[in-house]
Amino acid sequence: MDAAALIPLPDTIPVSWGWFQLLLLLTFFLHLLCMNMMLGSAVILLVKQLRHPAQLPPAGRELAGHLPFLIAFAVNLGVAPLLFLQVLYGQFIYTSSILMGVYWLAVVAILILAYGGAYLYNLKHDALGKRRNQLIILVTGGLVAIAFIFSNNMSMMLRPDTWPRYFDQPGGTLLNLADPTLLPRWLHFITAAVATGGLYLAAGGRWRRLEPAAAAARVTEGMHWFVGATSVQLGIGTWFFFSLPDHIRQLFTGTSTLHTGLLLTGCLAALISLGLGLAKRLWPTIGATIATILIMVLIRDLVRRAYLAPYFSPDSLVVAPQYSPMVIFWLALLLGLGIIAYMLRLALNAGKESGETPS
Amino acid sequence: MNYPIWQLDYAGGGLLIALIAVFHVYISHFAIGGGLFLVLTEMKGYREDSPAILAYTRQHAKFFLLLSMVLGGMSGVGIWFTIALLNPGATSLLIHNYVFAWAVEWVFFLGEIVALFIYYYTFGTMARRQHLQIGWLYFIFAWLSLFVINGIISFMLTPGEWLVTGNFWDGFFNPGFWPALFFRTFLAMMLAGLFGFITSTSLQDDRFRENMVRYCGLWLLTPFYFFLAAAYWYIHSLPEPTRDLIFNRMPELVPFIKAFCWISPVIFLGGLLMAIRLPGRVKRPLAGLLLLIGLVYMGCFEFIREGGRRPYIIHGHTYSNAIRPEAVEKISATGLLQSAKWAKHKEITEENQLAAGREIFNLLCLPCHSINGPLNDIVQLTAGYSVAGLATRISCIGKGDGYMPPFAGNDVERLALTNFIVKELHNKNKQQAAAHLFRPPPPTIPPFDRESDDYVLLAWTDFGIHTITDSDADWSFRPPGSNLYALLIKRDPTPERVSERVILTYMVESSHADPAARVKFWQYAKQLIGRDLPPNTGIFGKKLMGIMNRPLTGSIFEARGLPLLPYTENNAYQPYPLVTITAMTPAGKILATTRTVLPVSTEVGCKNCHGDTWRMAEAAGLDSKTARNVLAAHDKLSNTRLVAEAAAGRPVMCQSCHRGNSDRNRAPGKQLNLSAAIHGFHAILLGDLGAESCYTCHAADPEGNTRFYRGIHKEIGLDCTNCHGPLEDHALSLLLAEQAAGKERADFLIKALEAKSSPEVQPRQAWAQQPDCLNCHENFAPPEVDTTFNQWTSDATQLFRNRTDEVGIPCGACHGAPHALYPATNFYGKNRDNLVPLQYQKQPYPVGANHQCRVCHRQDMEDEMHHPNSLRRFRNPR
Repeated sequence: MDAAALIPLPDTIPVSWGWFQLLLLLTFFLHLLCMNMMLGSAVILLVKQLRHPAQLPPAGRELAGHLPFLIAFAVNLGVAPLLFLQVLYGQFIYTSSILMGVYWLAVVAILILAYGGAYLYNLKHDALGKRRNQLIILVTGGLVAIAFIFSNNMSMMLRPDTWPRYFDQPGGTLLNLADPTLLPRWLHFITAAVATGGLYLAAGGRWRRLEPAAAAARVTEGMHWFVGATSVQLGIGTWFFFSLPDHIRQLFTGTSTLHTGLLLTGCLAALISLGLGLAKRLWPTIGATIATILIMVLIRDLVRRAYLAPYFSPDSLVVAPQYSPMVIFWLALLLGLGIIAYMLRLALNAGKESGETPS
Repeated sequence: MNYPIWQLDYAGGGLLIALIAVFHVYISHFAIGGGLFLVLTEMKGYREDSPAILAYTRQHAKFFLLLSMVLGGMSGVGIWFTIALLNPGATSLLIHNYVFAWAVEWVFFLGEIVALFIYYYTFGTMARRQHLQIGWLYFIFAWLSLFVINGIISFMLTPGEWLVTGNFWDGFFNPGFWPALFFRTFLAMMLAGLFGFITSTSLQDDRFRENMVRYCGLWLLTPFYFFLAAAYWYIHSLPEPTRDLIFNRMPELVPFIKAFCWISPVIFLGGLLMAIRLPGRVKRPLAGLLLLIGLVYMGCFEFIREGGRRPYIIHGHTYSNAIRPEAVEKISATGLLQSAKWAKHKEITEENQLAAGREIFNLLCLPCHSINGPLNDIVQLTAGYSVAGLATRISCIGKGDGYMPPFAGNDVERLALTNFIVKELHNKNKQQAAAHLFRPPPPTIPPFDRESDDYVLLAWTDFGIHTITDSDADWSFRPPGSNLYALLIKRDPTPERVSERVILTYMVESSHADPAARVKFWQYAKQLIGRDLPPNTGIFGKKLMGIMNRPLTGSIFEARGLPLLPYTENNAYQPYPLVTITAMTPAGKILATTRTVLPVSTEVGCKNCHGDTWRMAEAAGLDSKTARNVLAAHDKLSNTRLVAEAAAGRPVMCQSCHRGNSDRNRAPGKQLNLSAAIHGFHAILLGDLGAESCYTCHAADPEGNTRFYRGIHKEIGLDCTNCHGPLEDHALSLLLAEQAAGKERADFLIKALEAKSSPEVQPRQAWAQQPDCLNCHENFAPPEVDTTFNQWTSDATQLFRNRTDEVGIPCGACHGAPHALYPATNFYGKNRDNLVPLQYQKQPYPVGANHQCRVCHRQDMEDEMHHPNSLRRFRNPR
């Protein structure tokens, strides 16, 4: 069966595709940062809990307290790129989602359980006693499972050649297990999350106005996580890179200047971050890591386009222009961010006003 | 079509979106109303200088945060996931049109989360004024989320001008937008009260608990009036056809509408009840119960809204199965499986027919119908159908009921789908048992000596088939009662019609002698026709043998209402029993004898759709289960109690309500006469297939057990529709007459039908106005056309069965009965209908045809006295 014939026809878009591309990459980048912090924290928390079943150390308590927030924002920041992904690549993502419908829908259930579990772990931490271990295993395990499901969907959407399997298995139970990129892809994301989680832990040390000794210990611990994960990442990243189809890999090894340059810059940034991490220089490490992640987001987009190039490219989408809704969106975003900034300012100043008696 | 279908069975029909959406909507509306609740309650705490109220507010905020963040927010994303899985085509359209609406909503969602976190975590540490600002900002963000999503949801039901302009703003601010927004806002406030009961009933201090519970009660009760007013506004913002559909023509929605109406006062009373001083351990479960009732309440509304949008997912634009209305014709021509991208079986063969049927089901039916699941279970809905019945039914889905899309596929695909449902889902692969028919050897024809016999006795009946129902314990539309007519002629160059000093006796053959042993009509005669009858006696007092009535005027003898059934003493099916008529002098000298058929059938096709077994002989008869299914359908669609009445021993005659002009004893009522009602309604479900539509119900199926359409017109290749028109037109002619008589029900049926042949169907009275033979046989000449429709006899006197030739001989006497005109070919014996002409002229043609004037005149004749064109060779000899 000709896979290309299976690709559904896309709908029109209301503004030029470049806008959606910008919004997709921007919001995905933010989502990735937040998701990394969330998942990394969850993994670190799991390890801490298993290592200290009787009494979670203060750093762990803090991570446990933050985890529900990180989940909330990771989900919220995930909504936006999912929206723009549907606009640009809807015919691919809907199809692969349906093919794995049972798993895809399970994400919602797992997420609710993991999120609820995270709150429970935090709010009822002491009362839970021995059940803490099991709970954090479920929470972190759930988040890792969600990552696996996402890796399946995001990779299967790029493989229309695997879609004809549907005809023998139409019940929504397909995955992309035969794809050589799946496992390294998933591990690459998890490892990156752990590394970012380490940075988050370390930054918490600086932020929290702890005693200098405790702060330094926190930074050291966080950096250990970062360095460890990033070192492993070198291997996983290489594995991921070499699991890509030849013609796509070749784009990054010389065939295309843009692709190759971007990959080299990204690897360089990663190595720099590793070096800075070994040197325990927190904020430069964070800066280099953010740069690395940003470059990797761009590379990921290029890889996606390369996979789909034989079938489709977003610039072929037909525009049925209606710009006013987008104008309203940018205005709403500006206004919304302004109000959020205001609220955050109020929050940071809470309790500090002189003469005001909080109740 | 464009996308693969997630193949579901139990969870089909949209169960997943129903569950996730109702769950989310309940919590999300609370998340909006609850936001206002928080900030106003906090203000109340400051105003009354009450630390207790503030502590309660904070406690409620924690409950609120956990509930709305974990369950509310996540299930909202869940809806997104689910709609793309169940209807990617529609989702893609919504996303591509409303991407920036969703993007704006995302900004508000972000603002909500930030505001809510800050509100809860700075409760007590942030200054009052600022804290209230945060609270207000939360509520505003939450309500704005509703504002945006409401635009998209209401668009789906009432897209308004967007259908023409495609403009974002036309679609967003659609006709249903504002009423729905107000409706949901008031509902959100009420839910704030309902959820507030949960936290307030847990307060320890009795007095304070009562105060706060009552306070929450205010939240529930105060918006109630405005909520109902907004509901009224919402209902009236719907276009009239949609409103009519939801409230008048969708039996599936009736339980939800009823529940919504009943729960409204229940919730109101519940709120009042919560104001009464009761211990906490009573109030807490009561709060939980009210919360559950609230969920059901909300669920009913959402089901009504979703159900009322059928058959569309985007009203007027895309059907629920993602097919565009304007594409249906092309898809039906090309074939669904050829047109769909994700169809495996592009060609249907015998081997893959059931699998192809499953694919067609997935593409066309699964969005609304589950298989053995809770939503519109297709297995339950198609329980009674045979392959023939269901195949016919599928060709007409959507017409008339108004809430199903039309079948988008060709005939082969329609049959594949039918076979999938009947053979695979219902496991009805078993072979039908062989029919037990009694096909006797050719009957003896009474002798006639052309030289010496002085009399010719002609006998005939008025209907080529007399169809009755035989499930009298359940209902009936005609009691047994066949009519026999006879004419005795003294042979002479000027023949004489004899009716004085002569007795005509009749005797039905003995095999059919005891109908009371095989039907229950006589047990229920009192209910059905208003009076008791002795067994085996007809409605005019005649039995199956006796003396024919002498005419008061004219010369035609008659024996009417003979209670014949088509069952033999061996319980075999034999719809053409013979009757022997003998003319004799009062002294007993026999003048003439003849024999003819009295056709009677119980092969009514109800079972094709209403249940699948015959009552008798595996061949015919209305089974009681089928009959009850018919009543059940009638009860459901027309709000009657016929099943209960039948079970209580009071079966009805259909005409007791569906009276017509031919029911002389009663004036017509509000209901349509039976012919208009039954044809009008079923034409919507069974039309479109030519003569096949007719013999889905009538016993004229050329492969059936009666095959009553058997005369010369069949032989030359005409079918039912040549004279009676296709079913839609046939029904329309009856309905138009009823409409002219002021019957409102006719309007709805007329609108639902499309005339197939004539641009302007002419109204006609049932039974009295039929196609006139002379429409085609103009002036009795050979016809130039083979179709007649829309030209009716002016009244019953012009009907073939009531007419005579120019000298007063009834048409039937020489030509036989309608649908069995000589020469007829009978399935139960080739010449079984033609006994009279065979007796007198050794040819099966009309009496006197082929220059057989000697039969009555003893000599050849020159003038065409009977009717023009009668003196010539028969045009279609065998």
